[in-house]
Amino acid sequence: MAEIIITVDGVQITVPDTMNVVDAARLAATQIPVFCYHPRLPAVGMCRMCMVAIGMPRIDRDTRQPMLNEHGKPIIQMFPKLQPACTTRVADGMVVITNSEEVKFAQNGVLEFLLTSHPLDCPVCDKGGECPLQNLTMEWGPGNSRFDYSDKVHFEKPYKLGDLINLDRERCILCSRCVRFQDDLADDSVLGFDQRGRKWHIISKSDPPFDSKFSGNTTDICPVGALTTSDFRFRARAWELTSVPSLCNHCAVGCNTTLDMRHNQLQRVMPRDNAAVNDIWICDKGRFGHRFIEREHRLTTPLVRRDGQLQPATWDEALDVIATNLRAIQAAAGGAALAGLAGEHLANEDLFLFQRLFREVLGSNNLDTRTGVPGEYALDDVGYQYGVGVGTNLMDLGKGTAVLVFGADPEEEAPLYMLRLRQIVTQGGSLIVANPRPTKLDRSATQTLHYRPDSEREVLLALLKLVSAETKQIPQRTTGGAELKGTLEQTKLDAVAKLSGLEQAALAQAAQTILAAEHLLIVYGADVLVHGASLSALLANLLILRGKVGLANSGLIPLLARGNSRGALDMGVRPDKAAGYAPLKQAGLTAREMWPAALAGKLRGMYLMGSDPVASYAPARAALDALAFLVVQDTTLTATAQLADVVLPGTNVAEYDATYTNAERRVQRARLARKVYDASKPNWEIVQAVAQALQGELVLAGAASSTTVTRTVGGNGKSGDGVQGKLTLTTSTASPVAAQESWDYITVGEVAADIADLVPGYAGITHTALAQTAQTKEWGRQANEDYFYDGTSYTNAEGVGLQVPAGAELPKATFDLTPPPATKVPASSTYPFALLVQTLAYRNDPFLHDSLLQSHIPAGYIALNTADAAQLGIAAGAQVQLTSAAGSLRGTARVVPDLPAGCVLVPGGLVDLPVATIQTGALTRVAVSSVAE
Amino acid sequence: MIGDLVKGLATTVRYMFRKPVTIEYPEVKRPVRERFRGKHELKRFENGMERCIGCSLCSAACPSDAILVVPAENNPQQPNSPGERYAATYEINMLRCIFCGYCEDACPTNAIVLEHQYELSYYDRRASIYTKDMLLVPPDQGHGAIPPVLEQVNRTPSPPAQIEL
Ligand code: SF4
Ligand code: SF4
Ligand code: SF4
Ligand code: SF4
Ligand code: FES
Repeated sequence: MAEIIITVDGVQITVPDTMNVVDAARLAATQIPVFCYHPRLPAVGMCRMCMVAIGMPRIDRDTRQPMLNEHGKPIIQMFPKLQPACTTRVADGMVVITNSEEVKFAQNGVLEFLLTSHPLDCPVCDKGGECPLQNLTMEWGPGNSRFDYSDKVHFEKPYKLGDLINLDRERCILCSRCVRFQDDLADDSVLGFDQRGRKWHIISKSDPPFDSKFSGNTTDICPVGALTTSDFRFRARAWELTSVPSLCNHCAVGCNTTLDMRHNQLQRVMPRDNAAVNDIWICDKGRFGHRFIEREHRLTTPLVRRDGQLQPATWDEALDVIATNLRAIQAAAGGAALAGLAGEHLANEDLFLFQRLFREVLGSNNLDTRTGVPGEYALDDVGYQYGVGVGTNLMDLGKGTAVLVFGADPEEEAPLYMLRLRQIVTQGGSLIVANPRPTKLDRSATQTLHYRPDSEREVLLALLKLVSAETKQIPQRTTGGAELKGTLEQTKLDAVAKLSGLEQAALAQAAQTILAAEHLLIVYGADVLVHGASLSALLANLLILRGKVGLANSGLIPLLARGNSRGALDMGVRPDKAAGYAPLKQAGLTAREMWPAALAGKLRGMYLMGSDPVASYAPARAALDALAFLVVQDTTLTATAQLADVVLPGTNVAEYDATYTNAERRVQRARLARKVYDASKPNWEIVQAVAQALQGELVLAGAASSTTVTRTVGGNGKSGDGVQGKLTLTTSTASPVAAQESWDYITVGEVAADIADLVPGYAGITHTALAQTAQTKEWGRQANEDYFYDGTSYTNAEGVGLQVPAGAELPKATFDLTPPPATKVPASSTYPFALLVQTLAYRNDPFLHDSLLQSHIPAGYIALNTADAAQLGIAAGAQVQLTSAAGSLRGTARVVPDLPAGCVLVPGGLVDLPVATIQTGALTRVAVSSVAE
Repeated sequence: MIGDLVKGLATTVRYMFRKPVTIEYPEVKRPVRERFRGKHELKRFENGMERCIGCSLCSAACPSDAILVVPAENNPQQPNSPGERYAATYEINMLRCIFCGYCEDACPTNAIVLEHQYELSYYDRRASIYTKDMLLVPPDQGHGAIPPVLEQVNRTPSPPAQIEL
């Protein structure tokens, strides 16, 4: 990329020679109006709005040098006609004129012509007020029209492109931005043109119509109001909205969003520009799936169970009941009889205080963010240890980058990674997609590997073997090399090829790509996360062998479950490690161990914050029923909250200021967008209030405990196991006075400051530091020219966030190559099939309630390979039964040719097909039988 | 002296036989000028449809932020106004209003018009908020046909423009 000099309206600037004239002129602070050109899309030159006069120095044919005039200046020869600036690349010495009469005449002409078939319904158009056509007409338009108004073309409207997107064909200027976005960026070629001449218009080619997880982005980049969303249809005018910076919490990408509010109500969600996270895009889940913020039936006041009924109570009363009962249980049975579960969507501040409450005040390590469902994700420490280094920016990656996607379906698990990874390929990187089944990302891959289910470990060992054969030098501070060598010696490539169904040559090709990469990214998802370190550590070994640990633009990216799953692990809401991954002497119970402990009476009290185990795991109900005391803090009266003794009204992401950590360990801040309901409070404040109430109780514990314990425990008929005798407070609780002092946070910023002080890795990540990552001085809709080019995306004045260093980046980090032991579920003749559970983007998730996406949640199905189905005599649409060691499940069969033989694929998280009921662990083996009608 | 007295009385007697200028408000109301700006009315078209399309331009133009518009989508079977959009909520706070008439100027459909009603007093502040049903004229008082720009929904595509050479 060479730098060259061009002249735009008399201003000389130096630009890279890969730029087009529109972008180059921007650098010279000259605006060339455009409609069809968009900086993120390839230029097509369809609208002719960007016509400018362009000249080049005249070259002497003999010397190949520019000819000079009498003043020693190059002679400029103008092109005889105007040139489209968007499709013209800059060249050395180029002269661009954007303000001549000729150019103005062309611009006037294009606008007058575009408006001949435009309905001029700005007053009722949702784009009005932020519409490039309005703006360009004001600035470059002729101001009048020679066109006969009654000759305007008319189409029926609205025309639904899908249930989310409306097309107004009269307003469309046929720039094809939407078509190109779907084709080139999203890889969902669902839009196209139909008809010719005046009837020329956009159609959806797919069934169901506009079948794409990124459809909402087309409404942002549409330069007119032709594409608008059903979600924001006629809700408000653009200038009436108050924009609040926020984050999408649905998946681990952590997209930056803007909540556009009016009258304390969410009107729409828009993307906020962050090159390192979501660029200027968000997926439809982020855009349309935020109606949960204003769900009906929100909890507005604390509830306390009186006479078997949950009844409204004051905060004082509720806190008093909590403190008395938790202290009583603690005094009687020790902190180990208490446990806490917290949701992974909650903020770092909530989670940090939650684990402090349990570890410091209650003396318990029984903490988890999961709910004990078989087949849930293991705690992902490898992803922190060998995660992508600080300074990683997928936007910059291209040539020299290799991405290995292993056991992941980014389109469903973390949709925005689809766009980011595809962009790396477009910019010249290699992408290897390895999965047991085909995914949409396969189409963009430079190589796909479809291994047989349950051969992941062997495939990875084979790759390691091939890579280690070429590795001359492994990084310093590496241990476990001998163990790995031993394991790799036993790995036979031909045996792996046979087991996994992959060609040896394919494995060798993948290894070559990995070996050749300057930047190596490994993205792994659900299929790896359920197995935990036994697979992810092997992925990390690939990085260690290549020496790509602790470096920017290299490392692991785990597609964790939710927006703050990484933050929850960092904050230590887990039984085995304290905040910042500090090992604990004695680990507490995992969620899965809590339920038997509760049934056995060993666990007596629980505090659930934003966690609904009853909904995700039915057997939890009996365990929760058996507890002496249950506190649930949530935004609605969930199935779990209905069992509680005290229910506390919490808040959601829009209702308080807080920070969240995404998959790449970037800490970002969301702001308060709406007033909370009545008596509900930010989650961290509630945790603090509970802690303070408990500390008040501590002083009185000696006097009050005995009576309370009899009441509470006796009330549930479970006294008499003699726990009173063994009072074992397992913690090293600081003296009550010292602890009391540290529970006096007034603002959320103080909690964040404490996190920065106490959690290694978060050092320096305070709210002030986050604010300093802002990209412009003022917040709000863009007043600058980006507005014309980039649709309605918002500049990031709130801050792009700060990355927490990966474990491998710490100065004394060591790298462990020891291969983890295999965890195999042996195949059996009773249960011959492997069950693949697919994580869906659109599933029965409480966060998608009340949104337009509800209708996109598929009905449950059981997918079988064509050969398997034929052998079992199962036709598509027939009822089939899956039986595992844990139970059986019936569903409708779907027969698909491209699923590997020997496995069944079932979508997870659907209420009509609760696959969790038959799962037995990370990998479930099932039998398939057809059900007689 | 007597002469001055008679002169004064004569004036009194003269005025006794003239028409009095006092108007017995509220029984009698004084007419206002044609362009007087009083309480707003939301007008209708001749076929009874509301002129207001819920565009909020009046509210954007209002210097005292007196107007609140919350738009909604018309039910195509029973539209409130021509086109796709109408004002579901339309409120004017008469205590805020300074009767400048900017809303009238801004309105693309001549829906909001300041009329001649000037009796605007209230016993409490809330009563100063005039809701849509208080502002909207009765259905039989519409005037004027729907302009083509608002009639687009019902039109079929027209043939290409005639070019005269
Ligand atoms: S719908 Fe919008 S983005 Fe698509 S072609 Fe028409 S004007 Fe362009
Ligand atoms: S990709 Fe994930 S974080 Fe981004 S908008 Fe979609 S669901 Fe939200
Ligand atoms: S008359 Fe003026 S002040 Fe009153 S509502 Fe209209 S624009 Fe606002
Ligand atoms: S009164 Fe006129 S300007 Fe106001 S919302 Fe209705 S149509 Fe728009
Ligand atoms: S032709 Fe250049 S922007 Fe459309």
